[in-house]
Amino acid sequence: MNKSFHRRAWAGFAVLLVLMPGCPAERPDPAVEREREGIEAVRIEGTGAILDPAAGFWNEAPAFSVQLQPQVVVDPRLPEAAVGELEARAVHNGEWIGMRLRWADETRDDVLRTADFGDQVAVQFPIDPHGPLPSAMMGHEGAPVNVVQWRAPFQRDLDEGAPDIFDLYPYALVDIYPDEVLGVIDARAYTGALGVDNPISRPYESPVLDQIAEGWGSLTVKPIQLADGRGVWNDGEWTVVITRPLFPITPNDPDLRPGTATNAAFAVWEGGSGETGARKSWALWVPLRLTE
Amino acid sequence: MPKVYNWQIGREMEFPYEGVRPKRQFAIVMDTNKCIACQTCTVACKTTWTPGRGQEYMFWNNVETKPYGGYPLGWDVRILEKLGVRDMTGPVYEGKTIFEAAPDGEIALGYIPEDEDWAFPNVGEDECTGSMEQGALYTMPHMQWMFYLPRICNHCTYASCLGSCPRQSIYKRPEDGIVLLDQHRCRGYRECVKGCPFKKTHFNPITRVSEKCIGCYPAIENGRQTQCTITCIGKIRLQGFISKPDEVREDNPLDYLIFVSKVAKPLYPQFGLEGNVYYIPPIHVPPRYLTQMFGYGVEEAMETYRRATEDRKLLGALLLFGSTPEIIERYEVQNDTAIGYNKDGGELVRVPIREPIHIRAAYDEQYEAHRTNIT
Repeated sequence: MNKSFHRRAWAGFAVLLVLMPGCPAERPDPAVEREREGIEAVRIEGTGAILDPAAGFWNEAPAFSVQLQPQVVVDPRLPEAAVGELEARAVHNGEWIGMRLRWADETRDDVLRTADFGDQVAVQFPIDPHGPLPSAMMGHEGAPVNVVQWRAPFQRDLDEGAPDIFDLYPYALVDIYPDEVLGVIDARAYTGALGVDNPISRPYESPVLDQIAEGWGSLTVKPIQLADGRGVWNDGEWTVVITRPLFPITPNDPDLRPGTATNAAFAVWEGGSGETGARKSWALWVPLRLTE
Repeated sequence: MPKVYNWQIGREMEFPYEGVRPKRQFAIVMDTNKCIACQTCTVACKTTWTPGRGQEYMFWNNVETKPYGGYPLGWDVRILEKLGVRDMTGPVYEGKTIFEAAPDGEIALGYIPEDEDWAFPNVGEDECTGSMEQGALYTMPHMQWMFYLPRICNHCTYASCLGSCPRQSIYKRPEDGIVLLDQHRCRGYRECVKGCPFKKTHFNPITRVSEKCIGCYPAIENGRQTQCTITCIGKIRLQGFISKPDEVREDNPLDYLIFVSKVAKPLYPQFGLEGNVYYIPPIHVPPRYLTQMFGYGVEEAMETYRRATEDRKLLGALLLFGSTPEIIERYEVQNDTAIGYNKDGGELVRVPIREPIHIRAAYDEQYEAHRTNIT
């Protein structure tokens, strides 16, 4: 039933596109056809997390072009998307799914200063592939989604170590910090978000945040982090792998077991253009099929 | 957007949330006529709250020289430029607030300062508006002028940082109206930095979330005034609670200064935030500039301040500034003495309306020595 619902929904979308000016009505648009088919996660050999963006097996997975739009539904909005398209490929090894996302970005933005933002990409899955489809806009009440988000500054932290103030501002002047003269307990009061273990302050062991959302403004980092990933910027292009277990392990993990027909949505933030939070470009649900 | 009533602009206005006033509202009155920009408040705040990593550039309290100083650089000029020239001469402000002037897709009119804007916290220090002609004499208001503007977070009734945050990471405490930023919930989007016209939220690049003045809430909870207030050597500040505009108490020194004598004015009321830091305008500065900065009624406030000796209740309230570290909830003037009380009615401080004068003889008979003033 779910499958036929999706098929009807996407057929409806395709009709809309065909009726739009500039779309030839005579024969089906190949782009629309591809969009209807969605992303196929092909089975590969191996076990555990799928982390290598340069592995050969990505060539076995069909490339899917995800068309991105600026977020203009809620304030604050993004008037113009810096990234209009990303290439998505998906594989799984019976234990983990891997999605490789690739998009053009002239600037590698992975350092956070007061007015600098980081590049990011996120994939969103419905928690329940068989229930009513949650709102593509970060789910809705009673229909949660899993948002796995890779952050360029986290990747840099893991590759090169977390920055201190002199990495960010070489000419900074500092006399003394509380943690140099106080004990750990007393100095904790001066550590802000780090002292209360804000999960966006530093990566745990992965550049990817495993999160749940039930609508706008509700994005929450899960207490147990299962997702992982790796991103590489090269010659004006990010290639990022996001991976997570196929089977639910903790509450509100998405069910992505082999054979499942589900959906995935995407969001990209181009930090160099000041994109952050709601100021993002995104794609609504794209069908995702995991081969047996 | 819901409509809320903002008494500082004399009308209802748009705000992203319903208008619910807190049970009590934190407020400070600052007398700009007495500030000497010694920065003791700045240092007291810095050493108390922001000596940590990533807070190097942060001053939750700062003192800048007007008209040219600003931290961050040109914060007021830039937002005023965006808002446009507005008529501030009537009791009802007819122009747009920053919420009403928000561009399409934005919650409030604003901008994010660049790194460089934060890097020079005291540029323009002591700079006057110009030089005097040879032989010219100063008259009031001064032809050339400057004054010091001490600033903290305004703990606004309609806080733009709070309204701008898409995650509701910023909240206003119902018990005292202090605006706090949840260090665990914030994700560092900096919508608050963009949305606060006073630029009193700061992004910490080490912890990667934003931070702001906490109104010294641990002190407030214990009946004690803020660090910036109690360390002020010029005794220019009085911190306490302002009543709701329809529940004014004449025996609350802040209410008397703000609502009764109207000698203390809000900072840039046209922004529409109903800030809760109030300023006694500098009386040597041209009213035209001050009307833009403190809104309607500035000239009356200056005149009232000049004639403060004729209003013993006003004088009493002014003399309580810097007289005690405790929060004065009630005061009265009795027999030429201003007396401050805490919330339980306990007496905190007595200040003579007129300081007693002792005249020492220039020659000390006992030691057979001439006295010199060495202080």
